[in-house]
Amino acid sequence: MNPRMAQLLTRLYPHPWRERYGMEFQALLQDGDGGVRAGVNVALSALGEHIFPTHGGTMDQPVHSFGSIIKHPSAFIPVAMSLTALALVLGHIALYGAAREADEGAVAHIWQLLMAGQMPVLAVFAVKWLPRAPRQTLGVLAVQAGALLASMAPVFYFNL
Amino acid sequence: MRSTRDVVESDRIPEMGYYSDPPLLVLASLASGPKHGHAMIEDIARLCGTRLGPGTLYGAIPRLERLGWIEALEPEERRRPYRITAEGLRVLRAKMATLQQFVKAGSERLEPL
Repeated sequence: MNPRMAQLLTRLYPHPWRERYGMEFQALLQDGDGGVRAGVNVALSALGEHIFPTHGGTMDQPVHSFGSIIKHPSAFIPVAMSLTALALVLGHIALYGAAREADEGAVAHIWQLLMAGQMPVLAVFAVKWLPRAPRQTLGVLAVQAGALLASMAPVFYFNL
Repeated sequence: MRSTRDVVESDRIPEMGYYSDPPLLVLASLASGPKHGHAMIEDIARLCGTRLGPGTLYGAIPRLERLGWIEALEPEERRRPYRITAEGLRVLRAKMATLQQFVKAGSERLEPL
């Protein structure tokens, strides 16, 4: 493969990947006979590298992306708890209406437990991740706060 | 890890597809000594008839390196050789034992046919 084409194909990869593997990869491409199949193979691999970065051996690549942080249990569990609480409230309203009841039922207790239960998880998440990746953690906290507010909105709106 | 989708070609029984587990093939290739990318591709082609595409190879290498199963050596001009680590050898042995078991069981099933 000619050097120009090898350089162009190498540039399809993310910058951190090129920093680590670019030179040797370009040499490999030049050693090969090139061709459309090799080009397509490289293009697909580069696309995969953008979607699922490999973070190879010594690449100085940020590993704390928003996507990787939100996969941690302490990040997604509060969101899941808020959404469950929201689903419970909406389900209750759909089945029994939005009239305020004299006694708190099981749904109200479960909602309260879900709301209160996620607080320590949120605190653990914030303490653990804010120092490591402040910007990405704030993004996740915003998602958690959004889910929390969404689950509280119908309760306050219907004055349940 | 990436498996079969990025392999460029194989000349073995085309209607059956090809055997391709790029990380395993890289480990098997490096088991006979350190190699750089082009040497790995040629060695793997001789080993099992599967010619890995350059993107497939360099999809497997960073993952194996991250897992600590291979390690990079000092570059020779622009080519960087890699060698298998002790942990990589252990993984390769375990994988080969599984494959041998599979081949044995498969062959036994084929015998009466």
